Amino acid sequence: MYTLTDTQIEFIQNDIRARGVLMVGLQQDLLDHICCVIEQELDPDGNFDDFYQHRIRTFYKTDLSEIEQETIQLLTFKNYYVMKKIMLFAGAFSVLTMTAGLFFKFFHMPGASFLIAVGIILLSLVFLPLLFTLKIRENSSSRDKIITGVGTFAGILISVGTMFKIFHWPGANIIGILALSIMLLVFLPVYFFSGIRNPETKVNTIVSSIFIFYGCALILMMVRSSAASNQLMRENAEMVLRNENMLSEQQKLTAALVSQSRIDNPSAQSTKLENEQAGQIGLLANQLKQFLIASETGKAQLGSGDMLSDMDAGHYISDSPKAEAQLKNLTGKIQSFNKTSGGNIPEISGIENRKLSQSINDLILVEMAVLQNESAVALQK
Amino acid sequence: MIFSSELIKGTLKTIVLKQLESNKRMYGYEITQRVKELTKDRIQITEGALYPTLHALEADGLVTTETEFIGKRVRKYYSLSPKGKTKIEEKLSEMAEFMETMKFLLDINPTTA
Repeated sequence: MYTLTDTQIEFIQNDIRARGVLMVGLQQDLLDHICCVIEQELDPDGNFDDFYQHRIRTFYKTDLSEIEQETIQLLTFKNYYVMKKIMLFAGAFSVLTMTAGLFFKFFHMPGASFLIAVGIILLSLVFLPLLFTLKIRENSSSRDKIITGVGTFAGILISVGTMFKIFHWPGANIIGILALSIMLLVFLPVYFFSGIRNPETKVNTIVSSIFIFYGCALILMMVRSSAASNQLMRENAEMVLRNENMLSEQQKLTAALVSQSRIDNPSAQSTKLENEQAGQIGLLANQLKQFLIASETGKAQLGSGDMLSDMDAGHYISDSPKAEAQLKNLTGKIQSFNKTSGGNIPEISGIENRKLSQSINDLILVEMAVLQNESAVALQK
Repeated sequence: MIFSSELIKGTLKTIVLKQLESNKRMYGYEITQRVKELTKDRIQITEGALYPTLHALEADGLVTTETEFIGKRVRKYYSLSPKGKTKIEEKLSEMAEFMETMKFLLDINPTTA
């Protein structure tokens, strides 16, 4: 029986590690095993180095790290079927919620955003990562593994970026640009040129590449440069500003008419209640308008050069319970005023689904109608 | 005759579990030697097959390990877990049925041969 020295044991330990076995448990197993082999099979005066080099070679076919690969393979295989099931379920469920979400959005029904978010999250954080994990097991070369990895990563970024865009979260554009750049400039060329070399995958590669290109192109078609966006946002604000100017002219005119009618007919009281109602409507519309402008620009009043983005007014209103209550109150007051007094104030139900600038304009129109109503009353007297 | 590793591969888990059942706790080298001895050298478990299998059995919760220091190195003893003890019965009857089926399928019946 051969007796191993500490130096020899240390040498074997380092050699096992150098040969690419990185799992500590496996290193310990192999070290003890080869030590047992040497102790049992080598003569007390035998040559350690020669015997070790010869014997370790019988552990593997091409290199020692294949034992570790086999171990990992067996450990992950256990989860293979579960992963596959979860992947398919997540994929199917994501398609269902996304379809429902699109349907809801198309008809402006509540809950659309939630369904779309669930769909995208399932797709990008469950389905795609699992697909990647299962797919790389099938890829033999590390080149294919890298291509699959880059493709999955870009796919996840595209769907997450789109979600950020829909919900107007910051960073959407950066994620989107990064995702499309990786897809078009890294993934597509590598995928295309490695795929067309192999006669078996040639046609499939070309067809998939065309799909990927057009998928990205369709997204890019909907994207504006930031200069173009700013221009549009400035135009939105200018339109609101023009209407605001018109409103202030009307305010002066109405004030003049009312004070004149008071001089002409100081005893008129009959329409006081009606005027009060209209006044409240005007006040509420003004408060909501100020709230929207302040939320968007951070300023109390819109000035020249300000911008109003393309997002829905509901984005701000749903964040503030107070604004929500005001909107509900205002909608109800307008309806009852129109019914009881035969007024013609524009109804504003649904403005939370309109673009910010459009809903501000709607509110200005309400204020305008209130003033016109007041003017008409003053003139009648 | 030494059986090929392809033939042994599918039965390795059962072989290992059975050894652990009869010998309480064993380390890797001991398992290979024991099997070699019992089968008169006809089944030689390779290191490349044994350790991945042992680790998979551990991950499945069928075996437990305890470590002991032997000088500068660590020896890992494997033994059956309670779950492994119930699993071994299942594995053995499955193997018996499999062997019957193979005998029939490949028409290897000593009485008719």
